[in-house]
Amino acid sequence: MQDTLATLISALLAAGLYATMSYGLALIYGVLKVINLANAGVLMLGAYVTWWMWDAFHVDPLLAPIVVLPLFFLFGIVLERVAVRRVIEQEPIVSLLLLFGVWLILQNIAYAIWTGDTRSIETPFIESTFKLGGIQLAWPRVYVFVAGALTLAVLQLFLTKTQFGRAIRAVSQDREAARLAGIDVERIYAVAFGIGIALSAFAGSLLSLLFPFGPDFGQALQLKSFCIVVLGGLDSFVGVAFGAILLSLAEAFGLRYMAASLQNLISFVLLVVVLIAFPKGIAGIIRSLRRV
Amino acid sequence: MLEIERLQVGYGEIRVLEGCSLHVDRGEIVALLGANGAGKTTLMRAISRLIDPIAGSISLEGEDITRASAAHVVDAGLAQVPEGRKLWPEMTVEDNLLLGAFARRARPQTAASLAEVYAIFPRVKERRRQIAGTLSGGEQQMVAIARGLMSQPSLLMLDEPSLGLAPIIVAEVFASIRKINASGTTVFLVEQNVAGALELASRGYVLETGRIVMEGSREQLLGSEIVRKAYLGL
Repeated sequence: MQDTLATLISALLAAGLYATMSYGLALIYGVLKVINLANAGVLMLGAYVTWWMWDAFHVDPLLAPIVVLPLFFLFGIVLERVAVRRVIEQEPIVSLLLLFGVWLILQNIAYAIWTGDTRSIETPFIESTFKLGGIQLAWPRVYVFVAGALTLAVLQLFLTKTQFGRAIRAVSQDREAARLAGIDVERIYAVAFGIGIALSAFAGSLLSLLFPFGPDFGQALQLKSFCIVVLGGLDSFVGVAFGAILLSLAEAFGLRYMAASLQNLISFVLLVVVLIAFPKGIAGIIRSLRRV
Repeated sequence: MLEIERLQVGYGEIRVLEGCSLHVDRGEIVALLGANGAGKTTLMRAISRLIDPIAGSISLEGEDITRASAAHVVDAGLAQVPEGRKLWPEMTVEDNLLLGAFARRARPQTAASLAEVYAIFPRVKERRRQIAGTLSGGEQQMVAIARGLMSQPSLLMLDEPSLGLAPIIVAEVFASIRKINASGTTVFLVEQNVAGALELASRGYVLETGRIVMEGSREQLLGSEIVRKAYLGL
């Protein structure tokens, strides 16, 4: 019983992290219909910037998002203007290759600046733990979960309550109708890409509190993000959050019966099962229920 | 109000419009008639600046908009209600309408416009919290027209507003178009439902395979051989 509860809590905490690292991917796909293969590279850079500010300037890693979010928002906008914009209307393979190339470049930049050494951040907060009903929990994991939940809330408010957020959703649901309403679709692309990249870098900053990392960091997580986004239905953030919970539950309980090295297997089996059984993801199921 | 001269439009190698000229004057309801594939929607898309013309010119209230951006055209007072409604299906009806007022010219009057369109379409007001994709076809068409009106257009273009609707709903939609025109908005209407369109419009054009083959008043069109044989089946 105690064991099951501990697994459940641990899974839920992991879900917050999984969701945060998938929002950017879902937003970019939803609006630009482009799969951001550079996501892992951005996660990794977000982690490095957080580490570097702590290591070189003794900035508390909890404050790093103040720099990481605007910095990567700008980076995203520049990347969209310079490169992604040119391939949006082309075959999917073109943008996949382009963003895969961006990932390789980011990785090599990280090697060049910070070498291949594994880095980690150590602060008293990161090592602090507490007990809840006999279960030992790490503060940073709780923090990361709360940050993920807050991100979802802020995103939902932005996308449903502001005119600009609504315009972003309009472009994702029908580009041409958006143009007819006078929405500057190209500007929406740039801003949505910027927000997507900023979200991924923010997730990377959070990851740096939990895991050691190097320039190759993020590959396995990237694949998990794909699984989550497919589960969630590719353009619904609530769906993404559900997808993250589903995956982390499957992983946590699956690991009780199999070796830890097989953890990644779970996400891929889940991915294949969902693609065959519910090709529209969780959001598709919710949608069909709502229509009844 | 709207002036189109020798407009040529195509997709890649295929030329869809081969030199169309027409004009819509302030206060009118003008119908553009023609069969499927004649190029009516292409003309609408070119006017709304969704596609670039190859040659010719489009001007709106004296301003040349042949190369303007789609957003600029909306700000200049033109709204299009596209074929197939094209609502944002996952949003509520009200969010669809609020976004209709995205253009700079419309934003300050959003609340007033909303009250105005709810007065024209009480049914849309009833449905305002519903997800747009769950509405019936007729309700969706009304929301689409209401969304177009939210941008405070001086010229409203409607592409096949009766498509796929039951006759009783078509009558309702056409009645609302007449009401919108009576309150001062010029209307340019594309229709396959020729009989219905000519009840509304005072003037019309017939488009066949990319060319205007006839123009005239309602009476002239109703009396002509082309229209009677090809479109009214008389």
